Amino acid sequence: MRCTGRIARGLVWTTLLALCAAGCAPKVTRLDAGEVRDLSGAWNDTDSRLVSEEMVGDMLEGLWLRERAGSGRPAVIVGEIRNLSHEHISVSTFVADIERAVINSGRVEFVASRGERGEIREERKDQDLHASESTRKAMGQERGADFMLQGTINTIIDASGQTQVRYYQVDLTLLSMADNRKVWVGQKKIKKLVERSRLRS
Amino acid sequence: MGAGTRRGLVFALAGLLAGPTGLTGCAGHSRSFAPIERCLATQRPADALVLLDAQKHAGRDRLLYLLNRAMLLRLTGDLAGSNAHFEQAKELIDALSALSVSEQAASFLVNDATRSYEGEPHEQVLLHMYAALNYLEEGRRDEARVEALQVDLRLRRLAERAPESPFRADPFARYLTGLLYEERGEWSDALIAYRKAFEAYRAHGERYPLAVPPALQADLLRLTARMGLSDEREGYRQAFGDVPTEGSPLEEGLGEVVFLLHSGLAPVKREESLVLPDPASGLLVSVSLPRYERRTRHAQRARVAAGDRTAYTELAHDIEAIALANHEALLPGITARALARAVAKFAAAKSVQKRNEAASVLLNLAAVLTERADTRSWLTLPAQIQVARVALEAGRHDVTLEVLGASDRVLCRQEFPGVRVEGGRRTYLSYHWPEP
Repeated sequence: MRCTGRIARGLVWTTLLALCAAGCAPKVTRLDAGEVRDLSGAWNDTDSRLVSEEMVGDMLEGLWLRERAGSGRPAVIVGEIRNLSHEHISVSTFVADIERAVINSGRVEFVASRGERGEIREERKDQDLHASESTRKAMGQERGADFMLQGTINTIIDASGQTQVRYYQVDLTLLSMADNRKVWVGQKKIKKLVERSRLRS
Repeated sequence: MGAGTRRGLVFALAGLLAGPTGLTGCAGHSRSFAPIERCLATQRPADALVLLDAQKHAGRDRLLYLLNRAMLLRLTGDLAGSNAHFEQAKELIDALSALSVSEQAASFLVNDATRSYEGEPHEQVLLHMYAALNYLEEGRRDEARVEALQVDLRLRRLAERAPESPFRADPFARYLTGLLYEERGEWSDALIAYRKAFEAYRAHGERYPLAVPPALQADLLRLTARMGLSDEREGYRQAFGDVPTEGSPLEEGLGEVVFLLHSGLAPVKREESLVLPDPASGLLVSVSLPRYERRTRHAQRARVAAGDRTAYTELAHDIEAIALANHEALLPGITARALARAVAKFAAAKSVQKRNEAASVLLNLAAVLTERADTRSWLTLPAQIQVARVALEAGRHDVTLEVLGASDRVLCRQEFPGVRVEGGRRTYLSYHWPEP
């Protein structure tokens, strides 16, 4: 008898919980692009923006730029930033953030990446055939890069049960195109503690 | 209702439900998949996808929907779409790792299939492997490396949850990740992965027939020699005997085609129910358990030919054997839960019998009808994965695959024209042969 009562109460609770979990329509709230919202603990837009801004700030304060004072603004190109982490990080977003931070600083010139150059060259070829003499852009006038920025994104993840410590390390290196010298090396670390709930509905 | 009438009614229902032997094979999740399987068997993944989307999927089966859809998209050639579904599946597995009190209660009161499907351990690992293969077949090696790292995390997590499980190590996952690291020149990571693969092959080989693939043996000998680990190399040499230890084709400027044959379909779970009448009370007691059923398989191995080179595939992953062995290990727990549930349901019906016979019969019938085995599993997985590796000059090559049955009878022939091979790189090719 007592057993039946417990089972009946269990059934009622199960039904109530199931009803609570079901039928919830998605709610959408617009956020400011600068607002920090950490959901899963994974690399997100805030990490990408903060790391790129801080690292580019460090790079532009480096000795290599001061040593070039008086010889014009150097031209920089972003080479490969490799994702060696545990996550499928959007490297192109990170590269775009770096490019934005570098260009907006106004202290260096920025040249198009390999993929972008290909498209421009195609357009120039097309201009050769179809554009008027006065507006046609000549071949062989590209600005060659003086330095290339390369880098890696790495992670170390330590997990136990529903708790994780996620450690991100971003390394960037600026290489001289003329002689392969490493003129600047930057590093940025991010550590996150992610605690997942032990219970769900 | 008199006692005689009541017993007559319940025994008639028992006969109807149980049949003459007391055993029934009822429809379940696995049965609903039969039309999709027929499409797969005739190499019509796009039709299978349409059928899958037309079916209704309960929220608790969402992981299965995502895994099956990801696999079917892979078979149709939509590798990016496939990986988008694998990503959703990963997020769902993480979310489901938290305990649900309501689902636990429902599984005790109703049946195991009321719980959200979290995936068997080998399925959770294979998810990453198929995502990695999608990336590799797209030429996105860095993304495939991400999956290799995630496999490591997944295996650590599975080992933490079941430290005694013989399946906490996954030989194929380690082997494939070793290949990825080695191609990138990450020698120490590659050797660690190969070592773990070797240990896992031996551990699995103690439970079902599985040998360390000869190609992996050669990898271990080559890498230990490269890293100057002479004692370890000698140990492997003694364990393997005479294995040809050529240098790495990748370091000699050649490329390598890694061909994966995904043959057959993973075993399917069927329901076995036992419905018995209790002569004293006239009530029914029902227990349903899942049982794995192997699928017909004729393919033994495959022959891969490119230019003047021919290689035969070697068994790298026996998904069927792992599923069966894992199920065998879990069955005592599943049985104990089913028995406890049967006792509770029977006791509940019996306790109301004296006060209200009709309610007791209805409660008992509901208990019998809701007692179902959990027959859910990832059914679009193959039964086996076999691997052949062929070293080739850089350039375009026509690759021919022949799936071989008993006595090397050719069951199927497939051409892969103009496969691009790069020096120092591995090119991954896959063929799924779900058996007609």
